[in-house]
Amino acid sequence: MSKYLDLSLIEINELLKSKKITPTDLVLECFEKIEKNKDLNCFITLDKEGALEKAKSLEDKEIKSLTYGIPIAIKDNIVTKNIKTTAASKMLENFIPIYDADVVKKINDADMIIIGKTNMDEFAMGSSTQTSFFGNTKNPWNKSLVPGGSSGGSAAAVSARLTPIALGSDTGGSIRQPSSFCGIVGLKPTYGRVSRYGLIAFASSLDQIGPMTRNVYENALVLNAICGKSSNDLTSYETNEDFTRLIGKDIEGMKIAIPKFYMSDAIDKEIKDKLNNIIDLLKSKNCTIDYVDIKYIDKAVPLYQIIAMGEASSNLARFDGIRYGYSYENPKDIRDLYFKTRRFGFGNEVKRRIMIGSYLLSGKNATTYYNKAMAIRDDMRNSFLKVYQDYDLIIGPTATTKAYPLGQDLDDAVKAFMDDILTIPVNMAGLPAMSLPIGFSTDHLPIGMQIIAAPFKEAKIYQLASFIEKELNLDLCPKLGGESNE
Amino acid sequence: MSKYIPTIGIEVHVELKTKTKIFSSSKNGYGSMANSLTNVVDLGYPGTLPTLNEEVINTAIKAAHVLNCKIRKKQHFDRKNYFYPDNPKNYQITEARTPIGYDGYVEIEINNEKKKIEIEEIHIEEDTCKSAHRGKVSLLDFNRAGVPLIEIVSKACIETNEEAKLYLEKLRQLLFYSDISDCKMEEGSMRCDANVSLRKNIADPLGTKCEIKNIGSISNVGIAISKEIERQAKLLDQGESFQEQTRRFDDKLNDTILMRVKETGNDYRYFPEPDIPYVIITDERIEKAISSLPMLPDQRKELYLSRGVSEVNATKIIANRNLSDYLNEFLDTNLNFQVATNLLLGDISGYLNRQEKEINQTELTKEKFIELVKKVEENTLTSKNVKDILDEYLETSQTLDELIQKNGISNITDESLLTEVVDKIILENPDSVKDYQAGKERAIKFLMGQIMKETKGSANPKLVNEILISKLNK
Repeated sequence: MSKYLDLSLIEINELLKSKKITPTDLVLECFEKIEKNKDLNCFITLDKEGALEKAKSLEDKEIKSLTYGIPIAIKDNIVTKNIKTTAASKMLENFIPIYDADVVKKINDADMIIIGKTNMDEFAMGSSTQTSFFGNTKNPWNKSLVPGGSSGGSAAAVSARLTPIALGSDTGGSIRQPSSFCGIVGLKPTYGRVSRYGLIAFASSLDQIGPMTRNVYENALVLNAICGKSSNDLTSYETNEDFTRLIGKDIEGMKIAIPKFYMSDAIDKEIKDKLNNIIDLLKSKNCTIDYVDIKYIDKAVPLYQIIAMGEASSNLARFDGIRYGYSYENPKDIRDLYFKTRRFGFGNEVKRRIMIGSYLLSGKNATTYYNKAMAIRDDMRNSFLKVYQDYDLIIGPTATTKAYPLGQDLDDAVKAFMDDILTIPVNMAGLPAMSLPIGFSTDHLPIGMQIIAAPFKEAKIYQLASFIEKELNLDLCPKLGGESNE
Repeated sequence: MSKYIPTIGIEVHVELKTKTKIFSSSKNGYGSMANSLTNVVDLGYPGTLPTLNEEVINTAIKAAHVLNCKIRKKQHFDRKNYFYPDNPKNYQITEARTPIGYDGYVEIEINNEKKKIEIEEIHIEEDTCKSAHRGKVSLLDFNRAGVPLIEIVSKACIETNEEAKLYLEKLRQLLFYSDISDCKMEEGSMRCDANVSLRKNIADPLGTKCEIKNIGSISNVGIAISKEIERQAKLLDQGESFQEQTRRFDDKLNDTILMRVKETGNDYRYFPEPDIPYVIITDERIEKAISSLPMLPDQRKELYLSRGVSEVNATKIIANRNLSDYLNEFLDTNLNFQVATNLLLGDISGYLNRQEKEINQTELTKEKFIELVKKVEENTLTSKNVKDILDEYLETSQTLDELIQKNGISNITDESLLTEVVDKIILENPDSVKDYQAGKERAIKFLMGQIMKETKGSANPKLVNEILISKLNK
């Protein structure tokens, strides 16, 4: 089996340019690997035919970018024209969209090749990819463990090197936490950096699409390709910059803040140890490291639940069996159609969140909970922004734990949210943040750190991340399928 | 009836005349094939997001202005959540908490007195699908889904069905004249709901109200309200209390019928629409929108009166916007507006109605109209002359002089010839002459008539009048 896909994008690009390989070779290798690692259950839908067609069509095209001919996997809550898009729900089990998400258009324009749609928690509600209607995804580092979620399929696919690149979406940590569990680089961009048009909405004021990659540089390349204002998304912003521009630049004297909450006892000791190593490394480069307080950060989870579930209850109302998706057959009347379609079409976690969300927006609750949560959210954001008046970046762990066994926490809805206590504040404040691998636990599971920047300062994240990545020089390929990756 | 004081509030939904829908780029149009003006956004497809048609905001600013409302500078949209098949996302995007206009009024005239009908608020929202029920099947037309609406909510300050009708007439005229809406009730671009309650004394709290939905014409609003007042009065007479109801007007029965008894407080789970940022309206934007408004009915009336048009003519002209717009093209000329309105409302309207045409579909150029008015004003053309040549004048590019010649209209202006005729008539009608000399002015009209008859209507009336009076006064 050829192993071009383990090479860096720069190396692959040289091979493509010198005509030693074609995009078709990359696609075939990709599908060979996917076939070999079927048991990971990274994909809900594969599009080999479409991918080969695209690869063929690229052969006559001038090679203009490093992303040319590169396979990419798309999280299955991002709509792809003519490719089934399920959001991992029975509700959309056979849903074939008639339009492309803005990011999908951009991916196509960047000459990347979409190979398929990745597994996830149903409607992105969950942090272990276990609420998927299509079964859970396994962690490539240890198949008895969860890959994290909700973008677990994307994280596992990149981690197992089934594809060099995947797109995920992040509402409360859904890119960063699985990236941490699977040992890859995942970025949640600033809210508004990437158009949400075509992302099946979970919580509109928090959702953001972002790149999940093997390394920092390639992550920046993908963000270059997918960012920008869209006339389809009023909350998107025009930004024109090269996110690779600070990569490799000296970090000497950077000012870095750590929220005290991020080093509390709720965090695994092993994870804190790894982060302390990083702190020492940064200090050796004369970086300032200070511990700071951020208002309401310890209350972020309940605040998030109010906002996310409230918005979700409204966003998911459109799945009613009338126009598309699952529709209960032979209903007695319209009420019966609504009730049965939604009873049988949604899984338990989704229904739980819709019900709580509806309750929270009901009558007086809207003022007691939702409006209050929005107000406190503003305060939290301002508290973050104040830190950035004095500091370049904020760092901390991505998750409180490393990957845990499949089946754990499934019945404990509250504890499941606690996975996200370190990632949620970032969504609440609309900031960009990355999860970067910084080492392994004693049982050789990846551990990630979070690098959080002020709005639209992703380039700074890439600068620091590239420095740490280079210093650590970790081997991030899990040993899989009896095949050595040496 | 007079035992009770009715309190009436009216909600009006008006579809805005914009090129595209409020939250998508689909065309905003009426009468197209079902589901031909729709896209993934209108269908509430997964992943779609609303955009905001700025034309809607500008149009709503105009509406707020012409209805004398205060304009809110910072607004956000809200989601009104409810399940209904005609509601594609199962939430409607509306302005629940920050209506664009508030505290306005419309002035009506009732029994020669002016009354302000106060407007609580105007808010922007999206229209729903149109549904049609065919036996066991229900059909949905998404062409209407996402058409921009404004909802105009009056205060409960209307006291009679007559006031309600006048209010709606005035509202329709204002919105139509401002190019805000077609206001065609038969096509649903203007829809009315009325809330009616009764109480015994003005000091009493408001009685139980009932809402009558979607009444199809202004005259039916009047009927619906009076029927509802009757119904409630009867119940109150019998000492019965009743629940809040939603009723609808059935034009075949000519009465309101029960749709549903209102359940305790609808819970729409409102929250701010996260997909649309705040709308900030600057003073410049307001000024720009207002400055693009055409002249409004009240302004027109004032202007016409100042140009010597009679009250009756002014009101009639304004009732026909095409004619009024046409007339306004002559504001910078010294046209005789009274004569002009006489012509427009008389023979020209007659022609247009007969031919089912609008004035801009005729050959009546500005120059030709000026010429016509002038000749009538100078009495060079009699009203009979006008009747004889008008059709041809409106349908061809011929000049008035050409037509006068062609039709043999010899408008006799030969003084000696006319004097002869006048003498003859005076001789033949000694009684009338006596009447005139006895101070009966009417007699002159009769004599004039006789002279015109004698000349087969071709005498110049102005000249005849002069000769006749001088002869009689001798």
